[in-house]
Amino acid sequence: MSGDAATEGLTRRTQNSSRELLAKAFFFGCAALSVATTLSIIGLLVYEAAKFFTITAPLLGIDGPTATLTEFFTGSEWGLQGPNLGVMPLVAVTLMVTFGAGLIAIPLGVATALYLSEYASERARSYLKPALEILAGVPSIIYGIFAVAYITPVLDTLFGVDGLFNVASACIVVGIMILPMVASVSEDAMQAVPDDLRQAGYGMGATKYDVSTGIVVPAAASGIFSSFILALSRAIGETMAVTLAGGSLARSFDPTSLASYLSLFDPDSYLEPGMTMTAAMIQLLTGDVTGGGLAYRSLFAVGLVLFVITLGMNVLSDLIARRYQEEYQ
Amino acid sequence: MSNADERFGRVSRRIGKLFRAVLFASTLAGILTLAVLLVYVANDAFQPLSADPGWHLVFLLTLVVPTVATGWWCYRRSYGTLATGLLGTVMPGIAALYAGGLAALFIDVIPTLVWLSFVIALAVPAGVVVALRRTDRSIPFLAELGAVLGVTAGSLLVVPGLVQGLPTVPADWMVLVLTLGLPEAFLLGRWIEGRWGRRDGWIAGAAILFGSAVGGVLGTATGFGAIPGVALTMFAAVPTALYVTIVLRERPERRIGLLLPAVIVGGALAGELLVGALGLTGPAAWVDWGFLTSTTQSGDPRSVGIYSGIVGTILLMFVVAAIAVPAGVGAAVYLEEYAPDTTFTRIIDVNISNLAGVPSVVYGLLGLGLFVRYAGQPTGTLLVGGATLALLVFPIVIISAREAIRAVPDSARQASYGMGATRWQTVKNVVLPRAFPGILTGTILALSRAIGETAPLLVIGAAQVFGIPDSWTSTIGAMPLQLYVWASTYASPAFYTTVLAAGIVVLLTAMLSMNSIAIYVRNHYEQR
Repeated sequence: MSGDAATEGLTRRTQNSSRELLAKAFFFGCAALSVATTLSIIGLLVYEAAKFFTITAPLLGIDGPTATLTEFFTGSEWGLQGPNLGVMPLVAVTLMVTFGAGLIAIPLGVATALYLSEYASERARSYLKPALEILAGVPSIIYGIFAVAYITPVLDTLFGVDGLFNVASACIVVGIMILPMVASVSEDAMQAVPDDLRQAGYGMGATKYDVSTGIVVPAAASGIFSSFILALSRAIGETMAVTLAGGSLARSFDPTSLASYLSLFDPDSYLEPGMTMTAAMIQLLTGDVTGGGLAYRSLFAVGLVLFVITLGMNVLSDLIARRYQEEYQ
Repeated sequence: MSNADERFGRVSRRIGKLFRAVLFASTLAGILTLAVLLVYVANDAFQPLSADPGWHLVFLLTLVVPTVATGWWCYRRSYGTLATGLLGTVMPGIAALYAGGLAALFIDVIPTLVWLSFVIALAVPAGVVVALRRTDRSIPFLAELGAVLGVTAGSLLVVPGLVQGLPTVPADWMVLVLTLGLPEAFLLGRWIEGRWGRRDGWIAGAAILFGSAVGGVLGTATGFGAIPGVALTMFAAVPTALYVTIVLRERPERRIGLLLPAVIVGGALAGELLVGALGLTGPAAWVDWGFLTSTTQSGDPRSVGIYSGIVGTILLMFVVAAIAVPAGVGAAVYLEEYAPDTTFTRIIDVNISNLAGVPSVVYGLLGLGLFVRYAGQPTGTLLVGGATLALLVFPIVIISAREAIRAVPDSARQASYGMGATRWQTVKNVVLPRAFPGILTGTILALSRAIGETAPLLVIGAAQVFGIPDSWTSTIGAMPLQLYVWASTYASPAFYTTVLAAGIVVLLTAMLSMNSIAIYVRNHYEQR
């Protein structure tokens, strides 16, 4: 029986044959690649940014132009010709774009989510949801061209803007881009609210309006909040649309004075051009980027700031969604 | 008492109605804004107002009115009839688009002889694998693997040189018929054999092979070009003919829907003839043949074209798919089928969702640091660009592949294990085939995300002026990159509302064609 060919054929391929192990190793390698990607992003950004700062550069044996941490975080100008290496002017414009985009996307997104989740018929949903997905699918470079070619002229006739570039048009297109994200994540949260709660509300004589605003929205609050953070982090990392729409002229911003923070909310300042962190990275690339000079390293320093902010917001959004999720049985 | 009763029964619906209207308006706000912007783009790209009013009238009468009437009539018969007609209209269009892209590759990037030599070089190890499978003797797996790898390496070293050194060279169309037409005829023949029987399979296979050869000969004879002739026959005409045959044979109640594409094609031809006869001029569209096929880079909007961007994008997508799909599906298989519930698995899990949220420009930095600075690749090449974009879509592919794998019912796995199959056999024979449509949909959607990415390509140092790449290490262009160059280097109203509008139309067409394929695949397999 042990010499039987059929038995041998049946038992030959065991769970530990080299074929099995090779397959498992390949699949494991693919999964590990995702961790390796994250680690290389972090390692690369930290390592290259460390070469940029005066305090860490000597440890890595770099001599050449560097920047102090004070210069980087409190400088009021950005521009490598100086060189003026303050990152806050870039962060300030990024915040303006994020604020403006949120002003558009958050109310519209929550309203959309509420309509889709509570009011829309099944048929209407089947048309509206793919249409919203298209909003998120259009490449950001196209939104950038929309901003310059079609939205800026409208802003010009309404408020009067100089030139092709301004922050307001960037806010509008980024707002449209992140709207589907607010809508879909919020809608998922609203759909997860159990029907019992709604029925209880109706049983108490509440109208649909009362149930939507008084029961569904509070019950889904954690999910709605996490959608805001997720969408705003998308707005912060957005590159091509803000590069084209906002232009590539760095503003001055003094991070040590209170007045400059208030100016972020001044409507007039939205009608002027401004360069975000991402736009600055694109602009830097016109210089010598492979040589490992100051421009190259500042690219990674700005990239690190961007990465830390967006990762922090993603993690925060995840935490809020999990920690404050209402538990229903 | 009666007063209280009245108040109790009456609730004002005004607020509720107003609220509902506000919500609905907000839902439409974003969609309508995009729609208005797209109308502006279309207007700028096609310039419909520059045509004679008579031109519009002619096409309204020959094309639009008959199409709408036929469509309405089909819809009244049944929704399925209209769907058949629409698919019959859209499918050949998209197929022709992709056939055109393929033809562009063979005309400008890959010499057909080089292609033939590599196909033969890879056919040799494929033959060895088949031969090994046919033998009854049991060969240890590692020996088999070693043999196959050895033969592949040897064949890749020797065969291309041999083939390229041949004294007589086959014509372009012969190479394509041999390398693409033959496999297509074989595969479709087999498929039809399974569907309608042996005889039909043979007939179909022979017809496909003969048809693609005829396409080549006709293309050469008419001056249309041998390569486009074969490509259009194989990848547009053959699928269309197959679709028509399937409808006629299997869905006779819907066959009347095929009237719709016939009316559209007939109407367009009739309109074209009438317009020519009446001497009416059409619109001076910015999207025209010259724009699609010109590689000129200059400050003159009328002379520039997007051709090198199109070719670059096609090549990039091949590289991205070749890297991201195996790796992404592999990772998904590991996480769904193999992974033990350990801390490391949870780290991978959290990590993937965070990776999907990393800004695309940071992936560009990763590519710049990893491939350019440390691996010493030149900036902005096809390989570096493709690898960077592959890293970008990697988490997206994993997430969608995991969903597809999770949707495979556990009973199918248990049945496989119950038959004594190992884990790998279960993955290969049960899980992956069942999850394939879902994986395909997710992959296409991921690629349609990659097709519009500009920032990573800019960061890895893609050139601002680019031509058609001729090797792995030549600098690459892409459609969105071309748009960026036009928008930044030639930033002027003359460019924004002319060439850029045309570029947007081309890029969006490519994206929407991919999305519609993905949606079709999903719906088609969901119905089963």
